[in-house]
Amino acid sequence: MIELNELTDAAQKAFPAGTLSPSREKSWHLAAELGWLMVRLPEEDGGLGLGREASTAIHHEMGRVLSTAPLIPAQLGLGAVAASSMARRSEWLERLAGGEYAPLHLLAANLRASSGGTVSGTVYGVFDADMAAAFIARLPGGYALIPSGAPGVSFHERPIWDRSRRLFDLVLDGYAPDSELKLVGTEAAPALHDLLAAEAHLALAADCLGAASAALDMTIEYMKMRRQFGRPIAMFQALKHRAADMKSRIVLAEALLWERVHNLDASNIQMAAAKTLSAEAFAAVTEEAIQLHGGIGLTEEHPIHRFMKRAMLNLQLCGSPDHWNEKAGREALAMLR
Amino acid sequence: MTDTPELEALRSEVRAFLAAHAPRNWRAASRAQSDFVATQRAWFARLVEAGYAIPHWPAEYPGGGRSLAEQKVIYEELAKADCPRLLLSFVSTYHAFATLHECGSREQQERYLPRILEGETWCQGFSEPGAGSDLAAIKTRAERKGNVYVVSGQKVWSTMAQFADKCLLLVRTSSEGAKQAGITYLLMDMKAPGVSVRAIHQIQGDEEFAEIFLDNVEIPVSERVGEEGRGWAVAQATLASERGLTLMELSYRMRGALGRVARLIRQHGREEDRGVLRDFGALTMQVDAVCALADRFLDNRIRGIERAGDASIVKNSYSRALRAYSKLGLRLGGMDEQYVAPITFGDLNTGNWMADFMNSYAWTIAGGSEEVQRNIIAERMLDMPREPKDWSL
Repeated sequence: MIELNELTDAAQKAFPAGTLSPSREKSWHLAAELGWLMVRLPEEDGGLGLGREASTAIHHEMGRVLSTAPLIPAQLGLGAVAASSMARRSEWLERLAGGEYAPLHLLAANLRASSGGTVSGTVYGVFDADMAAAFIARLPGGYALIPSGAPGVSFHERPIWDRSRRLFDLVLDGYAPDSELKLVGTEAAPALHDLLAAEAHLALAADCLGAASAALDMTIEYMKMRRQFGRPIAMFQALKHRAADMKSRIVLAEALLWERVHNLDASNIQMAAAKTLSAEAFAAVTEEAIQLHGGIGLTEEHPIHRFMKRAMLNLQLCGSPDHWNEKAGREALAMLR
Repeated sequence: MTDTPELEALRSEVRAFLAAHAPRNWRAASRAQSDFVATQRAWFARLVEAGYAIPHWPAEYPGGGRSLAEQKVIYEELAKADCPRLLLSFVSTYHAFATLHECGSREQQERYLPRILEGETWCQGFSEPGAGSDLAAIKTRAERKGNVYVVSGQKVWSTMAQFADKCLLLVRTSSEGAKQAGITYLLMDMKAPGVSVRAIHQIQGDEEFAEIFLDNVEIPVSERVGEEGRGWAVAQATLASERGLTLMELSYRMRGALGRVARLIRQHGREEDRGVLRDFGALTMQVDAVCALADRFLDNRIRGIERAGDASIVKNSYSRALRAYSKLGLRLGGMDEQYVAPITFGDLNTGNWMADFMNSYAWTIAGGSEEVQRNIIAERMLDMPREPKDWSL
C-alpha cells in the first residue's frame, strides 16, 4: 500500500492538478521516464512487474488531469504482446518498453478475410494512430501486430468532441498478415480478449473516477467562490445536496473498482461492471457540474465542459452501459437459479 | 481483505455452528409479531450460548473480546446463512452497551450489562415529535426533586419499545444557553409508574416502532449517565456504537435476496425482455458496489482510517439500493403485488414487494434521514459552508 501512495504522489508531482491536458508529447516522454509504459510488464521481460493496483492508481491520476497521452491503449497493446507467443516477441517488447507505441483499439473492428488470407475493413477506436509504430488488433485469424506503414495499412483521424484525446480509424485494404507478427491464433484469442478486457475496464474505470473527482473539486471550489443573494452558492442546501450525491456516486463506484482490482475470480462481465458504474458516475457528475457552474459552464473558456466530453466518450469505449447492463442481467439470471 | 489463518478458523467454526443451528423456517414463523418476538428471544439466547451474540463486548464477557475483523467474519456468516437479524436485542447489545461501557458508572455497568445477556432488552428514548433530524431540540422535561428526577414528555420512533424492559432516555434539565447544554441522559425502567407505550402502526402493517408517554415518571438520580447537562456527549457515544457492521450485514443480505428478483423475472416470462435484463443487470452492479463499499468502510475502520462523512455515504448508498431493489420487484410483480399478502416481521427483503417497498423508507428516514446525511457529506467531507444558524421563522 505504501508503494501505491508513492506512485500516486509521484504522479501528482509529475502531472500537477492545475494543468489540464498537458502536451501529449511531453506527457508521453514523462510517462516513459517514470516507467509507466511497462508498469504491468513482468520483470523477466524487463518490466516493473507491478499489479493491477499500480496501473489503476496511474490511470486515476491521468484521468484527474485529463491526460492526452494514450497510456491505456499502450498498456493494453504491450499486454497483448507480452501475453503472446509471437515469433518477434522480445524484439517488440524491447521497442515498446523503450517508448515506441503500439495501441490496442478500444472499439469493435469490422474486418473480413479474403480467400487469399488478406484482411480488409476498418478498426475503430484507435488512439493517436499517427504516433504508433504498430497496431494491435483482433483479425479474423486471431490477434496480430500490424506495423504502421505496412502495405494496405492506412489511418485517418475522426474528430471527436473530447478534445483531450484523438481517435483514428485504422483502415486495412488487402493487408497480408505477417506470420512472424501473429500474437495468438483464433483458439487462444478469446482468452487473450478476456485478459485485455479486464485490464481495459479497470483502466477506464480509474480514468473516469480520477476525472470525476477533479470535476467535483472544481465545481465545489466554484460554488464556494461564486456569490449570489449575498452568500456563496455553496451555502444553499438544495445545491449542497446535489454535491453530496455527486461525491456519493464517486465513492460508491470507487469501492466497486477497488474490489474488482483485487478480485481475481471476477468474470469479464463483473469487470465491465466497474467500468459501467464508474463511467455512469463520471457522466452524472459532469452533467451536474456544468449545471452548477451556471452560464460560465457553457463557455469554451471554462474547462468544466472538457470533463463532460471525456465522460461521454468513456461511456462508449469498450461497450456502452446498455450493452453491459444487459449482459450483467443475463449472467445474474443464469446464475441465480 | 483476505482472511488470516485465525480468521479462517473462526469462519469455519461459525459456519459449522450455523449449519447445525441456524433457524430454517423463521420467516414462515414470523407472520404474527408475538411469534417474531419469541423467535428473536430464542435465537439471541442460542447465540449468547454459542458466543456469537456480543463479539464487540470486552473479553470479560463470554463471547466478547473479538476484533473488528473477527466481528466482520461473524456477521458475514450470519448474513450468508440467512439467519434472523438480532432486532429485538440490537439496542441492548449495541446502544445500551456502548453507552454504559463508555460513560456509565462501574455500578451501572455491573448491574445492567450481565442482564442484557440474560435477555433484558432496551429501547432508545431520543426522538420526539418536535425533535427528529434536529435531535437537540428535545422538550421532555426532567426536574430534580431530592434523589429523583421527575420526567414528563413524549418520545417517538422508539424501536420495539413495546417489548423493552429499560430505556436510554434523553431529557431536558435546563433551557438556558445552547440547546445541547441542557440535555441529561437517564436510564429508565419501562415498568415505572407513569410510563405508557403505544405501538405505531406502520404503512406496511408492521409495528417496529412505538411512542412512549411519560407522565411524572420518577427516575432515581443514581440512574443518570454522566453529569447533569452533559447528556449530549453521552448520546454521541450511543449513536456511534454500531460502527458499520449492520450495513455490511444488510448489504450482503440484499445481495443474497437478488435471487427473488430473478425468480420474479422467470415467473413473469420476462427472461428475454432486454429492458428488464438491463434494469436487473444495473441493480446487480449497484448491489455489488454497495457490498464492496460497506466492506471497504469496515476494512478502513479496522485499519483506523475513517473520514467524516464516510458512514453517511454508506448509509445513503445502501438505502437507495434497497429502494431500487424493492421498486424493481414491485414493477416486475405488476398487479399481483397490489393484492394484500401476509408480511414477514423483521426482514427487509421478503418478496412481498409492496411491503418491502414501504419498509425501505425506514432506511432513508430512520437513523439520520437521507437529507441529514447529505448535509453531513457536504459540510464535513466537502467542506461546504453551513447556513447561518441564527435565522428563524
